[in-house]
Amino acid sequence: MSLLKSVIAAALAAAFTPIVAFAADLPDLGGKNVVIVTENAYPPLQFMDPKTGEQIGWEYDAMDEIAKRLNMQVEFRNSSWDVMIQAVSDGQYDLGMTGITIKEDRKEKVDFSDPYMRSEMFMLVRGDEERFNDAAGFAALEDGLVGAQAGTTPFFVAVYDVLDGDEQNARIKLFETFGAQVQALYTGDVDLVLTDGTAGQGYVKSSDGALKLVGEPMGTEDFGFIFPKGSDLIVPINAAIAEMKADGTIDALNTKWFLDYELGQ
Amino acid sequence: MAHSRPSSDRDFPYWLVAAAAIAIIVAVLIATNDLYLQVLSIVSKGVWITVFVTLVGFAFATLIGLVLALMGLSRSLVLRQVSRFYVEIIRGVPILVLLFYIAFVGAPGFVLAWNWLTLPLQEAGLVDALKVRDISLMWRAIISLTIGYSAFIAEVFRAGILSVDDGQIEAAEALGLSRFQRFRFIVMPQALRTILPPLGNDFVAMVKDSSLVSVLGVADLTQMGKVYASGSFRFFETYSIVAYIYLLLTVGLSLALRAFERRLRKAGNNGAHG
Repeated sequence: MSLLKSVIAAALAAAFTPIVAFAADLPDLGGKNVVIVTENAYPPLQFMDPKTGEQIGWEYDAMDEIAKRLNMQVEFRNSSWDVMIQAVSDGQYDLGMTGITIKEDRKEKVDFSDPYMRSEMFMLVRGDEERFNDAAGFAALEDGLVGAQAGTTPFFVAVYDVLDGDEQNARIKLFETFGAQVQALYTGDVDLVLTDGTAGQGYVKSSDGALKLVGEPMGTEDFGFIFPKGSDLIVPINAAIAEMKADGTIDALNTKWFLDYELGQ
Repeated sequence: MAHSRPSSDRDFPYWLVAAAAIAIIVAVLIATNDLYLQVLSIVSKGVWITVFVTLVGFAFATLIGLVLALMGLSRSLVLRQVSRFYVEIIRGVPILVLLFYIAFVGAPGFVLAWNWLTLPLQEAGLVDALKVRDISLMWRAIISLTIGYSAFIAEVFRAGILSVDDGQIEAAEALGLSRFQRFRFIVMPQALRTILPPLGNDFVAMVKDSSLVSVLGVADLTQMGKVYASGSFRFFETYSIVAYIYLLLTVGLSLALRAFERRLRKAGNNGAHG
């Protein structure tokens, strides 16, 4: 080995040592079997590929990567959002991932991981909407309807930040999936859907001008994975998330799914 | 029979010809459209779950319904009242509510009770403690449909059995037939003719109600459609296909049941005259 080569090798070794050492810090779960539940109805976090029917998305990629780093076997199952927190709390599944906002009242039922995604909520409206362009404007529009999925963060924002704090407000139309809300927006059944900005951009881009985002971001929310209370998976998965943030894996996933992937194609 | 009311039963089935023609046209449309084919290839993966949930649920519900009906007609006051209690209570709860209740109150409660009961066996190392996840959401859904439908089917059986004339039973008694023989050879063959049409209705209804399992995320036809539509934003295409498949199932089943009833009626008449 020439001197130059060994210098380069030494430099490379020095450069990679921190990462290698960091990786070595991650616990090895020894092939532990982990049952993960998701909804498959929240593109681009998790959804069904319209062409192949395969389950794909940001969260699948992230979870596969976490599984690789921690040496665990993941098994994906599906449930609807309505029952997911209860099912994870009951121990039906080891982990839930569906872009779940970390919230205090949910912590009574389940434990959360550290946040893996931060999202800002925006107002998604039809492209030709001219009656309002912010939350106050919508609130003042008496026959304006907002679509939401019961028990989700956009639902609570719609109730408490946009409307009058009455969860029974007749101006809120409930839907069972996020996609159904967007469809209702298209067809004119509702006039507004609240969505996180990154996913909202995806819809706007694929809508060919039929949809647009308006207004200021309405506060931020952090997404975390959920676990049954006291799960021993939380510490290792938090370590893996931290590592993936540090080495750019999370950024790469954001680029792949929020910028490069064309929804609805 | 000379003055019988007009009945669609004896008409030439023009409706069926029309429905079959539409079904064939739609099939051709689907086969020649890439988008529809794509939707079909994916949502149809849910058909087997729908069929499985319906068949298993209906088989269990029929069995339990028969037992409940017999209990309701038994000589024991306790059995009669237990049967009545079950039927009245269960019949009053919507299937969807029952589904949530069984899934998230019933199943965890059952696991708790089971583990408590088998504690000595667990300590002896004979059985493992049951975990909530050992009962899949699909089985919870099947159990819910079974419980819900068994109450209705019990009433169908009860009405059928009561429709058999008392004189027949007395005659059978006079001939020295045992209780079981009377039921098996005298009551049931006649009751079946009354029972089958409404039982068939419940069967078809259950094919449709099996779609309720999608609220738990069980991957049946409806759930596949729901998930597909939310990822592709193609609601019209997706639910057109889903409705088409359900119609093939339900109308096909109705026709099969009708044919079966007709055969049974013929056999019954031949028996009576022959």
